[in-house]
Amino acid sequence: MILLDEATIYNSSHLFGLFSVFNPDAIKDLKLYKGGIPAEYGGRVSSVLDIYQRDGNSKEFKMQGGIGAISSRLLAEGPIVKDKGSFLVGARSSYAHLFLKLTDNENSAYFYDLNTKLSYSLNDRNKLLLSGYFGRDVFNISQNFENTYGNAVFNLRWNHIFSDNIFTNLSVIYSDYYYGLNLNFVGFNWDSGIKNLNIKYDFNHYINDRLQLKYGIQNTYYEFNPGEIEPIDEDSGINYFKLINKYALENAFYISSEHKLSEKLSAEYGLRLSNFFRLGQDEVNTYENDNPVEYDADRDIYREADILESSESSRSEVLKTFTNLEPRLALAYAFNDEQSVKLSYNRMVQYLHLISNTSSPTPLDVWAPSGKYIDPQILDQYAVGYFQNFKDAEYSLEIESFYKQIDNRIDYIDGANLIANNAIERVVLSGESRAYGLEVLLRKNSGRLTGWLGYTLSRSEQRTPGRNPSEPGINNGDWYNTNYDKTHDLSITSSYDLSEKWQLNANFIFQTGLATTYPNAQYEYEGITIPVYGERNGERLPSYHRLDLSATFNPSKGKNKKIESYWNFGIYNVYNRQNAYSISFRENSNTGENEAVRLSLFGIIPSITYNFKF
Amino acid sequence: MRKFLSYIIIIFVFGLSSCEEVIQVDLEEAEPKLVIEASILWMKGTDGNFQNIKLSKTTPFYEDELAAVNNASVKIMSQEGEIFDFEHQENGVFINTNFDPVLNETYTLEILYEDEVYTASEVLLPVVPIDYVEQTQSGGFAGDEYEIKAYYTDPVAEENYYLFKFFNEDVSLEFYEDEFTNGNQIFGYYSDEDIEIGDNIEIEIQGISKSYYEYLFILRSQVGTNEGGPFETMPATVKGNIINRSNPDNYPFGYFRLSEVDSATYTVE
Repeated sequence: MILLDEATIYNSSHLFGLFSVFNPDAIKDLKLYKGGIPAEYGGRVSSVLDIYQRDGNSKEFKMQGGIGAISSRLLAEGPIVKDKGSFLVGARSSYAHLFLKLTDNENSAYFYDLNTKLSYSLNDRNKLLLSGYFGRDVFNISQNFENTYGNAVFNLRWNHIFSDNIFTNLSVIYSDYYYGLNLNFVGFNWDSGIKNLNIKYDFNHYINDRLQLKYGIQNTYYEFNPGEIEPIDEDSGINYFKLINKYALENAFYISSEHKLSEKLSAEYGLRLSNFFRLGQDEVNTYENDNPVEYDADRDIYREADILESSESSRSEVLKTFTNLEPRLALAYAFNDEQSVKLSYNRMVQYLHLISNTSSPTPLDVWAPSGKYIDPQILDQYAVGYFQNFKDAEYSLEIESFYKQIDNRIDYIDGANLIANNAIERVVLSGESRAYGLEVLLRKNSGRLTGWLGYTLSRSEQRTPGRNPSEPGINNGDWYNTNYDKTHDLSITSSYDLSEKWQLNANFIFQTGLATTYPNAQYEYEGITIPVYGERNGERLPSYHRLDLSATFNPSKGKNKKIESYWNFGIYNVYNRQNAYSISFRENSNTGENEAVRLSLFGIIPSITYNFKF
Repeated sequence: MRKFLSYIIIIFVFGLSSCEEVIQVDLEEAEPKLVIEASILWMKGTDGNFQNIKLSKTTPFYEDELAAVNNASVKIMSQEGEIFDFEHQENGVFINTNFDPVLNETYTLEILYEDEVYTASEVLLPVVPIDYVEQTQSGGFAGDEYEIKAYYTDPVAEENYYLFKFFNEDVSLEFYEDEFTNGNQIFGYYSDEDIEIGDNIEIEIQGISKSYYEYLFILRSQVGTNEGGPFETMPATVKGNIINRSNPDNYPFGYFRLSEVDSATYTVE
């Protein structure tokens, strides 16, 4: 889960991972919670990345930016009312036509985003903050196909200090994720997305030096638009078509404490009570025996059950309610200043399900809220970690091990049609997943050479057994790799100060290829060659690895100039590794022979950027 | 709706082709399984005596040659107990020359192959005739491809499913349900950039069952799957209606079905 100023961001990167979704110039701080996730966070069974945008400079006007061959950025900030109110506006954009290997076609891919923040101190005890983010990725093929997706979020916050030891924050957050397609050649637009309105009130209560309480209430209203087709013009020949919207309300109360039990032992424990109300919608289906997926024992296949009745229910009606208690606990024991251990447990509940055809570069994610036929995902996560500093903290080492178990993980049945499906419950079955692993992170924190080396050895699997002993489930009920399982994940980041003016950087990444499904046979039927696929996610894409190098040249460093500027020269994917985004199999239409086709997006990309600040 | 999705996939692949490269991927080779193409077709106005069933085995994915199955015993039984034996002709084609088709009657296929018995039962489904055929010229990418429309009148009383075959240079399969067109006069649709004036296009309409319709749907989604578009379908095992009674785990591929057929020939003007 990624939060930007408390608002959920649904996609985490621009241009298929080439750029972070966040503008680093606009960010104040960034916290990543992998284990021992505090009770104030919920709604996801994943780690949490909590990011806050910074306030603009309230004393003087400042600008910074970069002009580059691939992307440019500009950020301006300054006072509105000196020492009381400030603004910050940042924008970034990449240029079209640069990313895909464009020779003679008219394809393009680009992104842009905008960060804004206004802050105003009413008085010593009250402050108002308005922040916004708007980002879009655009992927264009020969004017005939355009795919646009991204987030828009707004957050109005009121910070209020009740007394010396009670700080509060009231937020009203609106978040909109959009995914759209424009198909000129067929003559229609496809729009889909998720909108949510979130109101939260958080209290930070300092009881004493040893005990700090956080408590609050969070309330989110969701509107899901699974898809809407609109004809481009009157000649299009396509009829208007709309998948029914879905609605839900999620509430949570939490209390969490940071407690220093002794000089060496500290604890963070809390409880979150979450509720989810699936609200009425235009069509509510009923099935025989409440069973939306039918098993045909003779043919040994699952198929969509017939809809017995489809009725309309009012938006204010509650179709299904879930209530869950989510305990959280983290203990940290410091042996001394250099060594410590940490233990944690947390339960988290996710009421939304994401089903995605992930091997696609621009997947059309299908979000399915829990309801009558789909239960929420429940995560139990255990982690244990050891931390040590060496040589006066010049080096530090972190070793962590985790185990996660998720119930009610859904997966699609063979032959499922996930797209434009008004009743996803008819093509999914509920199962479970588990993940475990060991992470090692070694950092060098000071000296001319700094950087880190991170390695994770892990496994992530799921299984979907039959609902009763006579059914086989998915993949015969056996465990199989999840779509994001990576056995080895190694990353090395280093930075070397060559001279006062030159800094060199290098990144290296190696990851086991993602799990995928390959054919293991073929046959001909009605003159068509049909591939026979093996075990689900039983194969792997080739390993992903690449090396990025860059150098920063800062001619003005040390000099007291009004304009500070530096150059950045970079090469992404230095040895031009053609990493596979997906591997597909097809019959060559000329030769009639079957072949494997690798789709890779980015080869070597050199870049140059001029950065400035004044 | 679904038709448009398949367009998208095609276009997407086209667009991404600049980043695509044919590579060598070593694949597992599964144990061969029996493949049964048992489509009993009764053309309106004929006696329907001559029928054939094709048997083959699955082959490794990169193999060019078809693995025909010649040594099997193949028969169809009617619900009255009539038995029609199919004799091996060549290349896995088994024929019977005295088949007796009766609409709406249930038939059972039984195949004995390598000591295992495969069976399936289906009803011979009727079909309405093709009323007439017309052509327009606004199909395809640029809107200038020929479109062939074969009109038929859907019976209002029942749920119907149709398979259309358009034979030009290649065979194009189209299949339809009547959920949104029940009782209407509507058309089977074929458009291709290769259609030219003077082409003789053979058109067939066949009555099929709901489960065969679903089977064809999944089957088609598996051809050219994994192509990287936003509407990509997931790889799946496509099981038909024929069951291995002796060893269910060694399930066959293919389908047993019986359809009445009407046909028309249209010359593009």
